Amino acid sequence: MKVKTFMSRIQGAPSEFIEKVKYIVGEENVSEKECDLISYSLDYWLYGVYLSQYGNLPSLPGVVISPQNHDEIQGILKHANEYKVPITPFGGGSGVLGGTIPTEGGAILNLQRMNKFISLDEISLVAEFEAGIIGANLERELNHRGYSMGNIPQSLYCSTLGGWISTRAVGQFSTKYGKIEDMVLGMEVVLPDGNFIDIKPVPRRSTGPSLKDLFLGGEGSLGIVTQAVVSVHPLPEGTVKQSFIFHSIEAALGVVRRILRGDARPAVVRIFDEAETERYFGEIKDKVTVIFISEGDSDYVALGSSVIKRIAQENGGEPLGEEPVNIWLKKRFDIGLGPVIMQQGAIVDTIEVVSLFKDAANLYNDMIESMKEVDGALSVSGHFSHFYPEGACLYITFAGFPKDPFRYYQDTWTAAMEATLRNNGSISHHHGIGYWRRQYMQQELGAHGVELLKRIKFALDPNGILNRGKLIEDGR
Amino acid sequence: MEDKRETEQLTNCALCANMCKHSCPTYLATGKETITPQKIARLILYEKKSFIDDKSSFFDVMFQSAMCGACKAHCIYDNYDLRKFIQKGRSKAFKEGMLPDETRQRIETFMSFGNPYGERQLIQKGTGDIGYFVSCSAYNDQQLLKAIDKIITVSKGQVHQFGGADICCGAPLYYAGDTNGFKQAAEKMKGEIKKRKLRKVIVDCPNCMKMLTEMYHEVGIDLDVEFVHTTQFLNDILKEGKIKVNRANTTATFHDPCILVNDMGITTIPRDILGVLGFEIIEPVYSREDTHCCGGVCGARIGDCSLSDKLRLMRISELKQTDADVYLSACPTCKAVLSDVGMKDITELVAEQMIND
Repeated sequence: MKVKTFMSRIQGAPSEFIEKVKYIVGEENVSEKECDLISYSLDYWLYGVYLSQYGNLPSLPGVVISPQNHDEIQGILKHANEYKVPITPFGGGSGVLGGTIPTEGGAILNLQRMNKFISLDEISLVAEFEAGIIGANLERELNHRGYSMGNIPQSLYCSTLGGWISTRAVGQFSTKYGKIEDMVLGMEVVLPDGNFIDIKPVPRRSTGPSLKDLFLGGEGSLGIVTQAVVSVHPLPEGTVKQSFIFHSIEAALGVVRRILRGDARPAVVRIFDEAETERYFGEIKDKVTVIFISEGDSDYVALGSSVIKRIAQENGGEPLGEEPVNIWLKKRFDIGLGPVIMQQGAIVDTIEVVSLFKDAANLYNDMIESMKEVDGALSVSGHFSHFYPEGACLYITFAGFPKDPFRYYQDTWTAAMEATLRNNGSISHHHGIGYWRRQYMQQELGAHGVELLKRIKFALDPNGILNRGKLIEDGR
Repeated sequence: MEDKRETEQLTNCALCANMCKHSCPTYLATGKETITPQKIARLILYEKKSFIDDKSSFFDVMFQSAMCGACKAHCIYDNYDLRKFIQKGRSKAFKEGMLPDETRQRIETFMSFGNPYGERQLIQKGTGDIGYFVSCSAYNDQQLLKAIDKIITVSKGQVHQFGGADICCGAPLYYAGDTNGFKQAAEKMKGEIKKRKLRKVIVDCPNCMKMLTEMYHEVGIDLDVEFVHTTQFLNDILKEGKIKVNRANTTATFHDPCILVNDMGITTIPRDILGVLGFEIIEPVYSREDTHCCGGVCGARIGDCSLSDKLRLMRISELKQTDADVYLSACPTCKAVLSDVGMKDITELVAEQMIND
């Protein structure tokens, strides 16, 4: 094997384990071939992606196992416990924090064979899918039948439903439809010891602490989600696109806050800072742009958009019409620049955090300033998206051409995380923790918070089988 | 210079987030990350940089693509087609004698008979400077051949039909990575067309059409002939009133052949024809630009029959969901592969509903 690994060398799985697993899933669904090990070594953690162009991968698994249902996963996990084989679940491989890197080798559990649409309940407005379905295909199945889940992340075309659940993901239309935790009603989960639970789909319940929430954001370390029932919505009858420019981030945040207080619920709200305004819309200089998309019943959309217009204009917003919204809609999945500049030696990444409205502007200013101060920084820009009546997600994009790539990457992240914590924010809104952000969990949760998570992990997974080295330590 | 540009393009693909994987039928049918476009690009890049030890498994991956073009159609980069790099991988496998066994067997058949199926009779009938090339898949399809005969007769067209024997576009050799063999097949085909003095050729198979119009040029063989797909020919004669048809009162599902969509850009013409024939079209979940390969195009079938079969079963399952009265395609390979849904070629439907006066 000529590829290099910067975390660990391959640690294979015992041959007896592999033979038993082959018996469960069939020989063709177990692979130790080099091409497969390389292909399941990394997700879309961008520092890892940057290094991958030089044949340098974080870590390689010893074996890749591809089950097709929860029965098979139960069997695999039972044997993994028997032989103490680390298991790293692999959904779409689109996570940006190294959540699917097999940090200790062992086995990859590839969940992508489980990619089927199961059912649609038009009376209750819920649909059931296998967890390995890609988001775009989930939406296609629903759209074909006149519905949408309303979860449209930038990774729509490469991420899976199971990945969304495991990272507490969010989509661009979240201000109306919510985050994934608002959409999942029930799920089937294989526990680390191989047992299986079926959390039935109901709108709300009062049956003690929510077991569902153990796995929403569990990052594959507390169980394997195999199926889920999610809420769906009829395709919108009407859509209104609006945009306004403002002189500052503070002014724009104030307007969005008032709009949400006024009970308007646009699906998309995005505040682009001056740098992102220029990058997206070109001709608009030194201004902050806010775009809104309202969709749903035509009467409600008309009413909501009139509230948006009134509040924006009363507070200094200059209307720009639909064009900026159309430009954003056209560019919103275009990630093409990243690979181009990574080839030229650039380090690029994104960081999403969240705060209350009262801290949002300070958080933005502090993060931008702190990240720009890091040696090697070229560009730091941001936008607010995913709004709630109480606050919003801040999403920062950065790029640098540093002499020492790792130093720049580490220092920029630390600057961002410390600025977030200084301003009462939470270190992640929807990308999750994975491998890379785990180093900041103590600061986020405090020592007792981390200890609590470790105890939960140990209670569920005493052998530390599932997704070692992610989210929290393995609990052993 | 071109190599540097190509390496940059391939690296962009290898560093992308796999934004086209949702469209890749081989991935969807197997759930295998290794055969998603971005991972294939990474492996090709690594092989180029000598990071791969296990050449055999690398070459196997090169033959696990349907070569259907879905990734190209859904690519975030302009003017990029991963198939070009996969094809180079296949050529390398051929040169290094590392073809999958299934591929080697198919090449041997081709070398013996000049076509992928074995001994065949020559088809040669009709006159005129407009040709109809009977593709290898159509050769054994009597319903289709009878239908085209009927349409030509009723439309009073002068069409020279040719095919069979050792007349083949060479696609199996192309997809097997035998570039020289493919070039020879292209030269032979050029001769067949030239000796018949054809100015226009109707082609029933989208894959043959791709070879004749695009891949021949890539190997330096250019034909001064207009090529049209059967659907274009049928649409024209319907519009010109050369044939008249009865209107049906039933439902139909059209399976878009992958190459017809992704390489020829033809999606509306077959639906226009079905409209004229009076069918209510029921679209499957994956149609038009989002169609899925049936598994029959030489891309996967040439090297991995098991993968080809998985594609077939997935597509059949998708099509069956429409529960239409009639299932149609515009490719004799798709028709043969998807026979479980009673697939017909659109040519047959036109012939069935044609008024014979």
